[in-house]
Amino acid sequence: MSKSPHLAAVLAVTLLVALGQPARAESFAYQLGRGLPLGETGIRLGGYANAVIAAPRSGPWNFDIRDLSLFTTWERGNWRFFSETEVANPLSASEHQDLTTGNARFELERLYIDHIFTDALSVRFGKFLTPIGRWNLIHAAPLVWTTTRPIASYQLFSRNATGLMLHGGLPVGERRLEYAAYTTLSDSLDPYKSENPFENAFGAHLLYSLAENLEVGISYANYELHEEPVGRFNLAGLEATWSYRQFEVSTEWVHRSGGGNELTQGFVQALAPLPSHFYAIGRYEYFQQISEAAGQVGVFGLAFRPIPPLVWKVEYRLGTHNESAAPDGLYGSIAVLF
Amino acid sequence: MRGLTCLSLAFALLTCPPLISSAASDDLAVVIAAQSPVDRLSPGAIRLIFNRKSLLDGNGNRWIPVNLPPADPARRAFSQALFGAMPEEMEEYWNIEYFHGITPPEVLASEEAVLRFVSATAGAIGYVHASRADNRVKILAHVSQPLPSKAR
Repeated sequence: MSKSPHLAAVLAVTLLVALGQPARAESFAYQLGRGLPLGETGIRLGGYANAVIAAPRSGPWNFDIRDLSLFTTWERGNWRFFSETEVANPLSASEHQDLTTGNARFELERLYIDHIFTDALSVRFGKFLTPIGRWNLIHAAPLVWTTTRPIASYQLFSRNATGLMLHGGLPVGERRLEYAAYTTLSDSLDPYKSENPFENAFGAHLLYSLAENLEVGISYANYELHEEPVGRFNLAGLEATWSYRQFEVSTEWVHRSGGGNELTQGFVQALAPLPSHFYAIGRYEYFQQISEAAGQVGVFGLAFRPIPPLVWKVEYRLGTHNESAAPDGLYGSIAVLF
Repeated sequence: MRGLTCLSLAFALLTCPPLISSAASDDLAVVIAAQSPVDRLSPGAIRLIFNRKSLLDGNGNRWIPVNLPPADPARRAFSQALFGAMPEEMEEYWNIEYFHGITPPEVLASEEAVLRFVSATAGAIGYVHASRADNRVKILAHVSQPLPSKAR
């Protein structure tokens, strides 16, 4: 009997607390493509996976689970942490090799912390995606429309940089200018060496919405590379994306000078929606190369996106002077953001 | 040239989603806690808060935007008015933001939940029908409800 008042009090307090708390619908539930929040810690786990089958015209077919990436994000106050750990090729097979895990390797794609001073200024420290063009910044397989990646989006620069970045957005006219300016600090900050990483690099990227559906951006980078060709390089880039409903046209171009040569690469890609969540994709690429004549490829593909985080893709690539960089053939993949 | 300018202006007026309006009984009201020092926000600022491009208010405090569930008519009207797109049409945008570690605004189950959360949480900002806004919250702006449009 003596416990009853206590029980009543506990129930009353519980009821008051429950009434006082807003009902949250989805905040702490797992959602495909949005990750899993760990309670109220501010930590969220997620990632993406991508399985690719390639049948180049002049080589053996091969199958890879190409990416298995895990994101960890944490936000609290003015701080934000982000990491992307990737298991590359955890499972692969080819015409000459049975299914194996022997090609698996770990990579730390990104690992950084942001301090947000204002909307106009954040400071990022760590390893981040190099802000050159649009593709490199959104390169995850579930976010792009083709299995193959345009050569201009990776060949002339390092995809990651490790150091310090200032970034933010500023009102310019009626719209917002997003900027990023960065410098690399030291290779020792990079826990896993990137492929052909930058050395003593600095650069900047500006992105501006010229209209509701039109974004344009410019990039500049000055850097040395670890591997051939050796030298110091200047790179300038230009990008634009126009979208209307689900139609999209995008283009990126980069021009690099240094190391005894000047190279220009770029692509134009168009996307058109078809019935039943299908999309048609066409892309033209042009790429000057150091040891071969300038190459050109055309990519013609179909994508099926039944739900936003999941996409199936198939495409045929055909070109000239492209055998080493982007061989002709049939490519297909399935990718999911989880 | 002048014709082109007029044509551009006409196009912009036709394509820009309406946002701020004079109050009407079924309008949506963008609300914040009654004791918040923020008294008004421009349409552009509200848009940036709800697409999470603006993370901090003028005093350096974090914005906490909250949404209603995607099927809620108020959410659909708000999304259409603010972004010219239905919630499902924003999924690609949020997929890209998620890749950068940014998630969409939290979802609360009802307008009453929005009022309770916003009134009790510093930096929280939400929307309810104007007729439901009470003295717990401050109205920062009214949002016209466009005619429902079919999702693309």
